[in-house]
Amino acid sequence: MWIDRKALAAEIPAAAALDTRQLCELLASVGFPVDGVAQREGGDVLDVDITANRGDAMSHRGMAREVAARLHRPLAPLAPPASAEGAPQVQVRLESPACPLYATALLSLGKGGTPPEVQAFLRALEATPKGLPAVDASNELLHRCGHPTHAFDADRIRGAVSVRWARVGETLVTLDGVTRTLAAQDLVIADESGPIALAGVMGGEATKVTEATRRVLLESAWFDPKAVKATARRHSLHTDASHRFGRGADPAMASVARDLLVDRLKAWAGATLEGAWTAGALPPAGAPVALEASLLTRVAGEPLPLPEAAEILRRLGCAVDERSGSLVVQPPSWRHDLVIPEDLAEEVLRLRGYEHIPSVLPPLEGPPVPLAAEYLQRQALARRLAHLGFHQTVTYGFISPEADAAFAAPGNAVEGRTLANPLGQEYSVMRGTLLASLRATAEQNLRQGAREVRLFEVAPAHVSGPKGPTERFTLGLAWGGTLGGEDYLSPARPVQEADLAGVARDLGLARLPEVRPLGEGLFGFEVPVADLPEAGARIIPAFRPFSRFPAVERDLSLLVDLGQSHEALTTAMRGALPAEALQDLRCVDVFRHKSLPPGRQAWLMRLRFQADRTLVGAEVDGWMVAALAAAESLGAKLRA
Amino acid sequence: MDHLLPPEIAEAGRAFPQALAACGDLDTLLRLKGVYVGREGSHAARLMDLLKTAPKEQKRDLGAAINGLKQQWEEGLKLRQTELEVAKKSLNALASSWDPTLPPPVPARGALHPLNRLMDRLVEVFRPLGFHVEEGPEVETEAHNFDGLNIPEDHPAKASSDTFYLAAHPELLLRTHTSPVQVRTLLRVAPELATRGGIRFLAPGRVYRKDEIDPTHSPMFHQVEGMLVGRGIGMQHLKGTLEYALRALFGPDTEIRLRPSYFPFVEPGCEVDVSCPLCGAQGCRVCKGSGWVEILGAGLIHPNVLRYAGIDPTEWSGWAFGMGVERMAMMLSQTPDLRLFFENDQRFLRAMGGLD
Repeated sequence: MWIDRKALAAEIPAAAALDTRQLCELLASVGFPVDGVAQREGGDVLDVDITANRGDAMSHRGMAREVAARLHRPLAPLAPPASAEGAPQVQVRLESPACPLYATALLSLGKGGTPPEVQAFLRALEATPKGLPAVDASNELLHRCGHPTHAFDADRIRGAVSVRWARVGETLVTLDGVTRTLAAQDLVIADESGPIALAGVMGGEATKVTEATRRVLLESAWFDPKAVKATARRHSLHTDASHRFGRGADPAMASVARDLLVDRLKAWAGATLEGAWTAGALPPAGAPVALEASLLTRVAGEPLPLPEAAEILRRLGCAVDERSGSLVVQPPSWRHDLVIPEDLAEEVLRLRGYEHIPSVLPPLEGPPVPLAAEYLQRQALARRLAHLGFHQTVTYGFISPEADAAFAAPGNAVEGRTLANPLGQEYSVMRGTLLASLRATAEQNLRQGAREVRLFEVAPAHVSGPKGPTERFTLGLAWGGTLGGEDYLSPARPVQEADLAGVARDLGLARLPEVRPLGEGLFGFEVPVADLPEAGARIIPAFRPFSRFPAVERDLSLLVDLGQSHEALTTAMRGALPAEALQDLRCVDVFRHKSLPPGRQAWLMRLRFQADRTLVGAEVDGWMVAALAAAESLGAKLRA
Repeated sequence: MDHLLPPEIAEAGRAFPQALAACGDLDTLLRLKGVYVGREGSHAARLMDLLKTAPKEQKRDLGAAINGLKQQWEEGLKLRQTELEVAKKSLNALASSWDPTLPPPVPARGALHPLNRLMDRLVEVFRPLGFHVEEGPEVETEAHNFDGLNIPEDHPAKASSDTFYLAAHPELLLRTHTSPVQVRTLLRVAPELATRGGIRFLAPGRVYRKDEIDPTHSPMFHQVEGMLVGRGIGMQHLKGTLEYALRALFGPDTEIRLRPSYFPFVEPGCEVDVSCPLCGAQGCRVCKGSGWVEILGAGLIHPNVLRYAGIDPTEWSGWAFGMGVERMAMMLSQTPDLRLFFENDQRFLRAMGGLD
């Protein structure tokens, strides 16, 4: 909200002694940080950030109250000559509890216009003066005192005025020219012809003040914040008035603002008051709040003398009854946010200055809780993969249904994971897979000229269920491009599926996950993190004895069919060998060449034996014979 | 003539070429030589013994067979030995003439994501104070995300223009902050709070708000929530903890400043500034010349939040804070565009994330 420095100083003269920077610091210290300062109409205008609970501060007067309380200096008097109230000139009926109070006045306009300094004030706040005193005065008053008012063209109002809920289907053309279809929850000002204004939000086109207006009917009421907020939201009509009523206006200001408005119209437009009157009464004040000394001490971190607290609260406009060990506090009519003792404690600390709060480390009462195994597992996994050359990605949790369908499990219904109000179709589904995002990221990296792309992400994958999606932390991994070829010892070659299988094995996966082609020379797999072996379940695992006797390694070069399964071959060979002595058996080289018999390839099988004794050459020879025989039973032949 | 030989030796003869080819170094070759043609116990030695005891009529044929085998083995071994020696020499030659400025093979190097690194660092900073990590789902209930946090029914954040909702489950939404983890955790530990003597935790995680993607906005971002519940906890404990943590994070000379502010789930509420870690509070572009940078929002837990979880606010109190991870990452690194964190260019990740 814009605050004109000169106009602020008019409300709190002591502020004139502060320069703009000091003023900004003061405002920030009481909870109103200044986002920026602009020079307009020959002065500084501050862009003040006002939190949602402080509707009372949304004016120069409101801000001045804060400055006055902090500086401990008086406000300028706000004393309009009270308009003598008389009999209603137009009947006002309050038909809804959402409007308990409605102050009004009827005036005949004379000659005159909005004073130039008021027009400049409005322009400084980025408000446009209309040149119509009744409109500009209402607007100026809103910014100066925070109470929204409205002026109707009295000659366009038919019959009595009522404040009531709209009837379904009623319409109203608001001042912005839009025809609004009203709902039963919209509070309206109506005359005999129907609604003439959206209460606390915006006036109606039909009864607006124009150049031709001769008589005005003023409105200075108090509306229930909930009703105003709901109507503003329903019609997407957020106005200066709805912001202030929506956050809670000061009911005690209703008649004061009416009087100030009358005063201005008399001065600016030569208006004559035909009558002023009020319908309804002030809504009941909230209950007083008791602030115990013990609570104040606890919140403040040190004992604060109650008289000091009482003095601060009085400065803020509270009525304070000092008892022994507590204060009973009646907040002022403009502070709807002071409801519980903690609210009052905050006020005391706020005005003392948060810089006076001591700094203490909280004592540790219970035993500390270790980090969860699942969390540690994910941390360890990420580090491990980073050390293996993979880059951790962070991608959006929502993707397009098409991208999702390419990789998500077929049983994982997309309907249960779809957003009602996505940013767009491409961000509409909570992903059941990480591979789609990894594919897009990998392709983007390759397009950007990356020679090799190694990516992983650890994030939840969403699984549809009857009560909504459940989340399963998942590891997704993508690897593609060219490996090696960047130094004299490492030949270049494309990344292959086997490379990903190697990573899966290295991670200790019991079962190899499906390696999916993601693109040309680009592969990926994903696996629930829960499927990976748990990290550090034991600090040091149980001791397993190992043999210190020499191991014997033998190679066997076999000709096997091109379709031969390595697993079947090694299973057969293992079956023929003593399990206690066979340490390892694997294919360490594959040779395919036209010099070999058609349909065959050469596998170099490496066997490693070790036992709790020195192995004798002859017995190993015997095992090699048996291993060969087992291989031969599957059609393998010793390569000559 | 093989029929004259014992089967195991005939087999050894057939296996010889492979065994020879498999010898990758001179030591292995020497062992193979011992097995086949060694002076004692070798296949050749056993054959010579066999020849001595063979019947006279077989001696000639057997002798020829044995000689053939021995010759084949010895030649094979000699040839392989020459091969291996040459290979060794050339390796030695390469090693002795190695140019250390020649680019060597370098192990692959990946990187953690900078946002994760920052969150990990925050967890590390709070660990010594007894904080552990709590987590919650991204898809949350309206109750956990709003109601349990004293956020009023008609709060604008609840609108579908601000918050993503699920089509098939209107009561479910994408959490707009990590604060629902507070609600979940308090509900869970409420019955055992007295035995535990309170609770203190961090909740790092991904959150969603309906913002269009631009250099300073993203519909998904990260927060780290911190919460402490105990007996007699006040603003001094919030200040003390944050002073410790932010000094651990930004350096021992860091100053912090609390300013009054408002969040529905805390009372009193505050915003916390740190003395600008980039210019040492001298005033720079990042702190806009003020020497201070806003870093997080915090406050004492609102009694309604404790009550919602079934915790008596007259017995227990606590504080909570929430900070934006991207915001802090951008401030520390002066990354000009938020989108870089979600683009995941490997060059960015290596430079910004890296590995300890």
